Amino acid sequence: MEKSIENIWKEGFLKNDALVAPKINNLYSQKSIHIIDKFKRMFKINLIAIVAFSFIFLIISYFVGIPLMGAIFFIALMVLVVVNNKLLNGLESINKGENSYQYLKSFNQWIEKQVAVNKKMSTFLYPVIFMSLIIGFWFKDAEGVYLGKRLVAEVLIHFPNIYLIYGVPLIGFVIMFLILGLLAFFGAKIYQWDLNIVYGRILKKLDELLADLESLRS
Amino acid sequence: MSSDFYNTSILPFAGIIIKLCRAYTNSQEDFEDYYQEVCLQIWRSKENFREQSAWSTWVYRISLNVCLTLLKKNKNKSQHFVSDALPAIETEDNHGFSDEALNLLYAAIRKLTEIDRAIIMLYLEEKSYKEIADIIGTNPNNIGVRVKRIKMRLKILLDGKIN
Repeated sequence: MEKSIENIWKEGFLKNDALVAPKINNLYSQKSIHIIDKFKRMFKINLIAIVAFSFIFLIISYFVGIPLMGAIFFIALMVLVVVNNKLLNGLESINKGENSYQYLKSFNQWIEKQVAVNKKMSTFLYPVIFMSLIIGFWFKDAEGVYLGKRLVAEVLIHFPNIYLIYGVPLIGFVIMFLILGLLAFFGAKIYQWDLNIVYGRILKKLDELLADLESLRS
Repeated sequence: MSSDFYNTSILPFAGIIIKLCRAYTNSQEDFEDYYQEVCLQIWRSKENFREQSAWSTWVYRISLNVCLTLLKKNKNKSQHFVSDALPAIETEDNHGFSDEALNLLYAAIRKLTEIDRAIIMLYLEEKSYKEIADIIGTNPNNIGVRVKRIKMRLKILLDGKIN
């Protein structure tokens, strides 16, 4: 007679070998492979790297005569670090002992929040970094005058009829705003692409799991 | 983790963890990784245990939640049953049990979606529909219908192999 799945289950687990726990190695010092812990590690490593890089850049910028650039760069990156550090605290509060729906929902909400925040930040961050480059080099000392003013003077020699606004060629403003616009537009997109490459699989899986659970809740 | 905690709080419930981890893995290596990770997360989450539910229910929740959000090293095998056609049941590497019927049942369970796997595992562990709904966070009224559907699918899968 054909066995029911309930009987296969019960009888299968009556055998002695069915529930032998595998040997556990160095559990106390084990590096977690769980996605939330991986996110935490990635976040922490990124934040430490950003802090270290921005400090080094600040020091170097002072010695090469572009301290303004280093300072703006430093402030922009520190804002990024502070905001992401707050986001990291939200990740710590996800309780794996909640029911599966609450747990997956909390994790998904955290991901959505951090994606939204970082996309917004990227929209501003890349243009700010670009502006720090422009301002830094503009105000760099070049034999007693600002490098920017010296460059404009050179340009005026070759193009004396060029239209100036506050002493800067109009074409310069046009190119600068064009680049700023492109960076603002692509900043968020670059972040999204980057995220999809690294975490696309888990994000898709989360969506599928939540959709399935929501169909059971309705 | 102190070995005391593992011996007193995890090992007595190892059966639950083993059964769940087997349903979400296709190889012995993955199974051992999942088992170890579940134990680690139970230990790390122990401060959040509020004694509003039994420790075994808590272990179920953590085990299930961890299994649902772990990524396999090799994801080259289809995890979803996408067709009504009878698929050939593969026991994959047959990791696990000496009981052939149980191995086939597990192979069939692995063809289900991940939420369906959770539901049928809890059902087979004789949890009530309300308990299943509490653990996965859904409406108990829908669990019965889903269990019936899953059992039909499992039957189709098993009949395709066993007959």
